Amino acid sequence: MAGLDAMPVFPFMQGGAAHGTMLPSGAVALTDLTASPRFGLKGGGSAAWLAAHGVVLPAINRIGSHRGMRVLRLGNEDILLLREDAGEPLAELRGAWESDTGPKGYSSWREEGWAWMRLSGPAIAEAMSQLCALDLRPDRFCAEDIAQTRVGHIEAVTFRAPAGFDVLFDVTASAYFARTVSAVARHCKQHQA
Amino acid sequence: MKIMTCPMNGPRNIDEFQSFGPVRDELDPEQTADADWSRHLFRAENRKGVVVEWWRHVPSNYFFLAERDLVSNEIIRTFDASQRSGQS
Repeated sequence: MAGLDAMPVFPFMQGGAAHGTMLPSGAVALTDLTASPRFGLKGGGSAAWLAAHGVVLPAINRIGSHRGMRVLRLGNEDILLLREDAGEPLAELRGAWESDTGPKGYSSWREEGWAWMRLSGPAIAEAMSQLCALDLRPDRFCAEDIAQTRVGHIEAVTFRAPAGFDVLFDVTASAYFARTVSAVARHCKQHQA
Repeated sequence: MKIMTCPMNGPRNIDEFQSFGPVRDELDPEQTADADWSRHLFRAENRKGVVVEWWRHVPSNYFFLAERDLVSNEIIRTFDASQRSGQS
């Protein structure tokens, strides 16, 4: 049996619940970023603690930045920090939070509870229009906006990535989400043919 | 599609929301007659008119209030719970 300090097994990894599920590529591509580091705080004191550590918090449903991290304000006291590479700033902030004994909010366990997937490809606009009921066109939904809504019929947080959209959702729905995006990708392909 | 306007997230499909029932008076059980307390616990109102209800936007887990017409089912307005003063 693996020890408690073992590397986490994410759904698409060997041994994960979604292992073997095909991720679409081509006109609509899906990339799994679930293993990328992130740090979420929630509950009373979260915003004050982050502000005291120099993080400039954006408005609710907007994205800011701090030392190379994206700062997502999901609620008044619900904040998520994302970084795609294993950057030091995120680890430093997490270390400071863990060693702090004062009021500091609560860990929202986003690194374990949420899948992080990126949709990209030339047919991304059509695919997102089928996956999500919101108007996500560039003139209505800019790079700093966050939509907390449904994507592929599941509760999700979505926002723009450099080329496409990032989607955060319940990690247990990973295989379902990959299959749903695959189905939409096939439909887009037929539509374009 | 029925649209509800979330005070935090804007207009959304009603499918994204969950209802938590009407806002009710918070009675003190020590100061309330048994019959009134029993009514408070076990009986629901069934009247015509406008009701103020708790709703939740599920993807963001945001709770807010909505005024709804119980006859026409029209959602008259939605607002943050911090603006509750004066509501019943």
